[in-house]
Amino acid sequence: MSDTPTRDDRPAGADQMLPIDGNPAEQPQADTPARGYTDEQKYRIFNKEFMPHIDSMYNFAFRLTTDEDDANDLVQDTYLKAFRFISSFEQGTNAKAWLFRILKNSFINDYRKKSKEPAKVDYQDVETTYNSEDAETEHTVDLRAESVSDLIGDEVATALNSLPVDFRTVIILCDIEGFTYEEMAKILDIPIGTVRSRLHRARNLLKEKLRDYASSMGYKEESDE
Amino acid sequence: MQTSLPSSSPVIPQSATKEHCDHQVDCLKMIQLILDGEATEQQVAKLKIDLESCQPCIKMYHLEREVKELLAKRMEKRCCPDELVATIKSRILSFS
Repeated sequence: MSDTPTRDDRPAGADQMLPIDGNPAEQPQADTPARGYTDEQKYRIFNKEFMPHIDSMYNFAFRLTTDEDDANDLVQDTYLKAFRFISSFEQGTNAKAWLFRILKNSFINDYRKKSKEPAKVDYQDVETTYNSEDAETEHTVDLRAESVSDLIGDEVATALNSLPVDFRTVIILCDIEGFTYEEMAKILDIPIGTVRSRLHRARNLLKEKLRDYASSMGYKEESDE
Repeated sequence: MQTSLPSSSPVIPQSATKEHCDHQVDCLKMIQLILDGEATEQQVAKLKIDLESCQPCIKMYHLEREVKELLAKRMEKRCCPDELVATIKSRILSFS
């Protein structure tokens, strides 16, 4: 695929390396297999495989930062990083997951601290809370499908935005972007079991928010709380 | 990458006999696996049996499916601003 490598010789085993396992956002040089793409190949990959995902990337960035300027900066940083470390991407593999992983890492490293949102509860705390015994005896949120179907997009977006960012993230990746659990595990650097349980808790939280909306709109819930 | 609900979704009967479920949290987790397209065939078959008899599970199934569809279809999707696309492309060109 690369007859005229312009940068590095490709290390042995580079082809076996899953591109998503390279970690351009954090340690680009360390254990990233370099592919010797020519400049022409780089631009072609960038335009054909990376740019088609830019709307999804922008939406992801906006939902993470909840701020248009931050979303702009985050998407730009992510795409520049993606180009700079394009040699760790294997052509024809899952570019969307690869890009989402860079964006998510950039968000954690560069944006979370300066986020304009009020200080968020760290997910460890939240996860511990929801991991407790109480959480297991809980919790199927008393909300009816019919009430949900009357909610509009804005209300859902507000409910989603009110969730701690790690819970928001799994819902965005799974329900809005349609990633599989396996892809989410790679994007988020967590085990699949954690994806599953975090998603479960995130959905319970979201349904609680939606129930609050539904009841504030006057739908009668058969709640025995 | 799964984008829609699995075609193997159980068919929900109109009437069910059981009005109380002792395993709601586990059933809910199973329902989510199925709607996410991550369940095995055995899990789908098992839930299908549950859903034939258990009223609370039927309700949970409908609610989970409704919330998932709401997120997939009714959230505003923004387009990346044209200026940002242009900026990225011109920054990339200056790299080589």
